[in-house]
Amino acid sequence: MQHESTATSMISVRGMSKLFGDFVALDRLNFDVKKGEKIVILGPSGSGKSTLIRTLNRIEPHDSGTLTINGKLITDKTDPIQLRCMVGMVFQNYNLFPHLSVLENCILAPMRVRGMTRIEATDLARRYLNQVGIPDQADKYPIQLSGGQQQRVAIARALCMQPEVMLFDEPTAALDPEAIVGVVSIIDELAEQGITTVCVTHEMAFSRRIADHIIFMDQGKILEITPPETFFTSPQTGRAQNFLNQMLRY
Amino acid sequence: MPRFFLHQPRMPWFQRIAVIVGLFFVALGQMGTARAEELPSFVHNGTLTICTNPTLPPMTFVKGQDVTHPEGFDIDVAHFLATRWHAQLSVITMDFTGLFPSLGAQRCSLVMSGIIQTPSREKSFDAVPYQDTALVVAGRANTPALTSMDELSGKDVAVESGTSYVTRLGIINNALVAAGKAPMVIQQYPTEEQVVQQVLIGRVFAFVSQDVEIFFRMRQLQGKLHILLTPDIPDYRHFAIYLRQNKQDQALLQTAITALETDGTLATLRNKWSITDQSTKNSVNTSSATSIFDWNAFFSALTSTAFLHGALITLAVALLSHIIAITLSVPIAIALNNPKRSVLKIALEGYVALFRAAPTLLQLLFIWNAVPQFFPIFREQWFTPFLATVLALSINESAYQVEINRSALSAVDPGQELGASALGLSRRDIYWRVIFPQAFRIALPPTINEFINLLKTTSLASVISLQELLAVTQIQVARTFAFTEYYAAALVYYLVMVFFFLFLQKRVERRFTWSDRKKVVSNAA
Repeated sequence: MQHESTATSMISVRGMSKLFGDFVALDRLNFDVKKGEKIVILGPSGSGKSTLIRTLNRIEPHDSGTLTINGKLITDKTDPIQLRCMVGMVFQNYNLFPHLSVLENCILAPMRVRGMTRIEATDLARRYLNQVGIPDQADKYPIQLSGGQQQRVAIARALCMQPEVMLFDEPTAALDPEAIVGVVSIIDELAEQGITTVCVTHEMAFSRRIADHIIFMDQGKILEITPPETFFTSPQTGRAQNFLNQMLRY
Repeated sequence: MPRFFLHQPRMPWFQRIAVIVGLFFVALGQMGTARAEELPSFVHNGTLTICTNPTLPPMTFVKGQDVTHPEGFDIDVAHFLATRWHAQLSVITMDFTGLFPSLGAQRCSLVMSGIIQTPSREKSFDAVPYQDTALVVAGRANTPALTSMDELSGKDVAVESGTSYVTRLGIINNALVAAGKAPMVIQQYPTEEQVVQQVLIGRVFAFVSQDVEIFFRMRQLQGKLHILLTPDIPDYRHFAIYLRQNKQDQALLQTAITALETDGTLATLRNKWSITDQSTKNSVNTSSATSIFDWNAFFSALTSTAFLHGALITLAVALLSHIIAITLSVPIAIALNNPKRSVLKIALEGYVALFRAAPTLLQLLFIWNAVPQFFPIFREQWFTPFLATVLALSINESAYQVEINRSALSAVDPGQELGASALGLSRRDIYWRVIFPQAFRIALPPTINEFINLLKTTSLASVISLQELLAVTQIQVARTFAFTEYYAAALVYYLVMVFFFLFLQKRVERRFTWSDRKKVVSNAA
């Protein structure tokens, strides 16, 4: 357990809560993510996993407690653009821009937000499209690609902003088994390169392989923060036990 | 009951201003050179403005192609009046029903449009008679003549709407019903040539108008018409010039008319325009009298500057109004799509509801005739029918366009905004680079649809005297009676304009090759 904020901490969450009306979506969360660390958030549906990951780049602003990213306290006064340059995000449904080609999807934010020239942004985009294994799809439109290819574009698009942290919100949930293998191996590769990663997923084998720590959530609370070996072999709470039993049966 | 538009609610301060202006000119007249005649208060800044509906030959009509310059007995009289008062003559043309509201709204000094002097009109406006006339019932050449109005019982009778004949026919109908007879079936048409056409095509038995015009039509139509009856009705003996109530102005105008009568000017003009000539021999040339469809008339209308000018006005009004409407509607649509309640949102919802609910024609009439009574600035020269139409149609269209834009914006996947803001794009970029381009494609077909509607809706503006395509057509038809040919020419113009925009729509749609249907399929895979 790492409740102490340290100099090497990339994300630090203290007593953070989020309400939707009367419903407590996140209940006084505490955790730290060190620079280069890989965190996987597990938990049953409705446990608050997606809400948590969305508070980390303030797409969902938290209501109380503190959030510190890379040493900066994130409040409603923080420039959201500065924050989102540090924290990239990949969604379950890709959210690619259908009216732009793959390349244009990747260079829009670097040009408009980072102020790169088209040439610089294109160079960068081609490098990342190459890294996610679809260098030859740059001029196609999203609808012309398979789901797996679209998610690779979404990952490349996020990487083009050269973030310090990557957030993945169930990146494989909308994909077929074959495509899952491809996307998972790209995230594996990124993790090996040392980028700080927070991932919400239901892929157990993948979680076990890449996670430095598993955060297990239920009903808006964090119940366990443990290394994967401990979590998958001897979970400490009954609810984690139940969750694992159900996942394995399935 | 016939509608009666003629009782304008009068604002006492109008009269007060009129009196003050009148006194000013009285003072000016006394201080000025000894022989200078007093000027009526309705002559403003050296300009005499008359309102006329140029579809009543030979009193006021368009002889050539230029619909902004009517001619006729009334127009010549107006010229002499202007000369007498050292003023410039300005002529505003409009539908008959718009004449008295425009006079009330101080858009013109006088109404000179071959209008009968009647006691009911004199309740609201002052009148000065200048020409004798009589009410006449006319029918097709082979129809036997009548001996009394009672013989019209149960028959179809056409009449121009807004005229005093409508009221008169109502009175006759009441008498018929009281005597246990069937009333006449009265059909009202907005222009006089349509009234005549109903008789010519045999839809109605007779029409009611006055002798001067019918003499002209009889010559024009080479004996296809003849007079069935000239009942002597005391209220229908004179054409009058109408002005806003002001005894001093009325006296000055009466003096001027008497002078023109005395020096023989009016007699000369009567002769010039054949006001009392009942012969059908000396006929003016007509084109469509002989064949079913006169191709020459059709092509000359098609290539005339009048039609081209009318079409350009139609196009300009539609384009300008729609551009303004879209510009207004986008921010309103964004504000209305915000789920939070606010005072602004309630106000905008009210705006949209009001202008979707109110008939477009009513909005046009309101802006042109009612608003100037409260804001005098809207009766100044710069507020032209063109501007008034653009104003009315922009507001009206923006209300419809808000609904199109609202649905187009909601149809864009919310994930797009999420994805764009996660990339750090500013609000501005999220809208301009991500949401608008996608909403644009969804909104395009209904927007083009709206534009085509708007292009055709501009024809309503003829009621406030805008010389758009349909108004030009009507005025030209009144001159030539070539209904089929001129309607066909107008149709060709409308079709060409609409097909051009449909073609444009196809081209723009084809540029957006990313299709939602394919996207759904690939997502489902």
